[in-house]
Amino acid sequence: MSELDFKASAPLTIGIELELQILSRHDGDLTLGANDLLRAIEREAHPGDVKPEITESMLEISTGVHTRYATALEELLGMRDAVVAAADRLNLLIAGGGAHPFQRWSERQIFDKPRFRQVSTLYGYLAKQFTIFGQHVHIGCADGDTAMQLLHAMSRYIPHFIALAASSPYHQGVDTAFDSSRLNSVYAFPLSGRAPLADRWDRFVAYFEKMRAARVIESMKDFYWDIRPKPEFGTIEIRVFDTPLTVEKAAALAAYAQTLARLLLSERPVDVRDDLYLAYTYNRFQACRFGLDGVLIDPNSHEHRPIHADILSTCERLEPHAQALDSTAAIARIAQWAAARANDARWMRGQYAASESLSDLMWKQSQRWRGRG
Amino acid sequence: MSDLPFLPAWPPAIGPLAWVAVLLLAAILAGEAVRRWLNTSRVLGYLAVGCLLGPQLVGVIDHATLAQLRIVADIAFGLLLFELGQRVDLTWLRRNPWLLVTSLLEALLSFFAVFLLMSLFGVRPIAAAAAGVIAMATSAAVVITGVKDLRAQGQVTERVLLFTALNTAYAVVGLTLMFGWLHFEEASPIATMLLHPLYLLTGSLLLAAVLAWALIRLLRAFGRRAPFQFAMTLAMVLLTVAIAGMFKLLVPLTLLALGVLARLLDRDRHFVSLRFPETAMLFVVLLFALTGANLEFAGWAAALPLAVGFSGARFVGKWLPVLLLARPSSITMRKASLINFGLMPMSALALAMLGELTRQAPAVAREIATGMHLAITILAFIGPLMLHYGLRAAGESSDNAPVEQ
Repeated sequence: MSELDFKASAPLTIGIELELQILSRHDGDLTLGANDLLRAIEREAHPGDVKPEITESMLEISTGVHTRYATALEELLGMRDAVVAAADRLNLLIAGGGAHPFQRWSERQIFDKPRFRQVSTLYGYLAKQFTIFGQHVHIGCADGDTAMQLLHAMSRYIPHFIALAASSPYHQGVDTAFDSSRLNSVYAFPLSGRAPLADRWDRFVAYFEKMRAARVIESMKDFYWDIRPKPEFGTIEIRVFDTPLTVEKAAALAAYAQTLARLLLSERPVDVRDDLYLAYTYNRFQACRFGLDGVLIDPNSHEHRPIHADILSTCERLEPHAQALDSTAAIARIAQWAAARANDARWMRGQYAASESLSDLMWKQSQRWRGRG
Repeated sequence: MSDLPFLPAWPPAIGPLAWVAVLLLAAILAGEAVRRWLNTSRVLGYLAVGCLLGPQLVGVIDHATLAQLRIVADIAFGLLLFELGQRVDLTWLRRNPWLLVTSLLEALLSFFAVFLLMSLFGVRPIAAAAAGVIAMATSAAVVITGVKDLRAQGQVTERVLLFTALNTAYAVVGLTLMFGWLHFEEASPIATMLLHPLYLLTGSLLLAAVLAWALIRLLRAFGRRAPFQFAMTLAMVLLTVAIAGMFKLLVPLTLLALGVLARLLDRDRHFVSLRFPETAMLFVVLLFALTGANLEFAGWAAALPLAVGFSGARFVGKWLPVLLLARPSSITMRKASLINFGLMPMSALALAMLGELTRQAPAVAREIATGMHLAITILAFIGPLMLHYGLRAAGESSDNAPVEQ
């Protein structure tokens, strides 16, 4: 079986991966602890899956496959509690957020696994700067053609995801002015950005084979696209979310993507053609820079709208689909955040303004992660 | 020559200050040499130079100079104890109670192992107990300097720091209780025997609490600027040393408690940005050079079996509890063993405790002094090596690639 055989999965199921920061209680800086933390977590029964990531300062948790928002949230809460309990025993803090605000990347250690070493050798300082933390949402697709259709239609809504999840305003000790500075780090990689406009699975496979024949890539893992197909799971994977500061938000964002997928597949409101990507990088920049206040240019109507307004009108259209998927509560929260123009980046800036200490901000982020504050 | 009265007599007299400068210079050079060519702790270089220039060998730093420099060593040691206290988060013991059990057991077992060994060598129980108490403490100065030198972080580092802070406190308190016992042996009134330790303990902790509270209030009023924080902390440490001395309290315990309480009382985390500047290293270099100069190893051949036995008993006494409680306290057996390596250093505090014993109970001290001095010398040199090895083998130092897990 080739890695490009698209494994069918139940349509509109979701799976969530979260990359988390491991912090020192002493000063809120990133610290080494993934190994010990994993060992401590594995000793107790816990839901979901916990894995090491590229550095010893990062932990990845991932849920199973869910059809409903409520069960995904429940699993995430259980995993969060297990990770927090283990971190407490080891004198560590766990926090969400898309990037560490003041970590000195030269001091990061790359996790000791062959693939991570290989990445680190190839990308040099980029790999260490890649100590950024994202949420990935998988959406199940019945077949490869549907996956490619959904992937491209979903790209219209990438600014929504970026703006809602943005939680990396600080980087290397300064306010970057971006709501999501994390994505700027991702775009430094050669194979980042968007997938090519292949609207059927066989066309995507043809593209992939060409890239491999030209030895640009070796495997699907070499693509750092905003959305990429994941044939071995039978999903598309949305990768533009910064890790939110709470699991509640992570679950709501996944439910938003799931409900949107239902709308996109049943009503087909987005034309998958070249013009779809006309304003893509512009919109993405707006979302990264200005968050919910950014401007989004609709690829079909060429209309300019604030991202928060576009989210609100989308939420209205999602109503019947939310009812069908039992995600009404999640969509209501998304609408609330959009109306209030409140994302985590804004919360972080507010906290920093009060204390003027990024260490203190990390402490507060860790408290927020565990459900306090 | 006499025509030019402004010229000095020839050869010019070399004052103590010049020798201190030479000591400092040589110590820094030796520290760098040790780091570069032997790739291990700079502390060894500082100690070696102090030892060489000190009264035991070359003698250009004599006892009078050492006495004059005592204040510098006290400041350095005070800063390091405060920093250790501040690095340690006592709420960890609540979140992982097995750490408290481990800590108590490693201190108790190293006490009893050394007590037993000393008794086998025919030392009187009171003197054997004194040796056991001194054996409990890990060198705070070596540990905090080593951790900073390697920029180490991780479970082994954190636990070595925690256990060191705790066993230092136990040892200081233990020695106080011993003196109570000594007063009893010398038939002091029962009131003195009970009241003196009580006065020392409550007085030291109370003073630390008041000063920690004042420090936090000041930080709150003046904000989070790092250089300012350091100056304020330095002043507060000096004040602590002075007041604790005035009231004849336990200076090391007060400093350690000042650090711990400053951290515990710091609810708004004003201290998170506290960074000791590189210039503070100057104090540390001098502290170790002076410690080196204070090391004594006269009559080492005869004392060697006792000193080696002491080191071995202390090693086993600390290793067993740390190893056996590894699993419940959420760490691997391998890392537990590496933690024990980090607990081996003995240095300035051990010397100070031995000195205090000599003042308070010369007859008791005499029985163990030669052996203890040699043991402290051995562990002052081997301890930093073991700490470095432990932190590196655990993959927690930032100056080397991660090791195989």
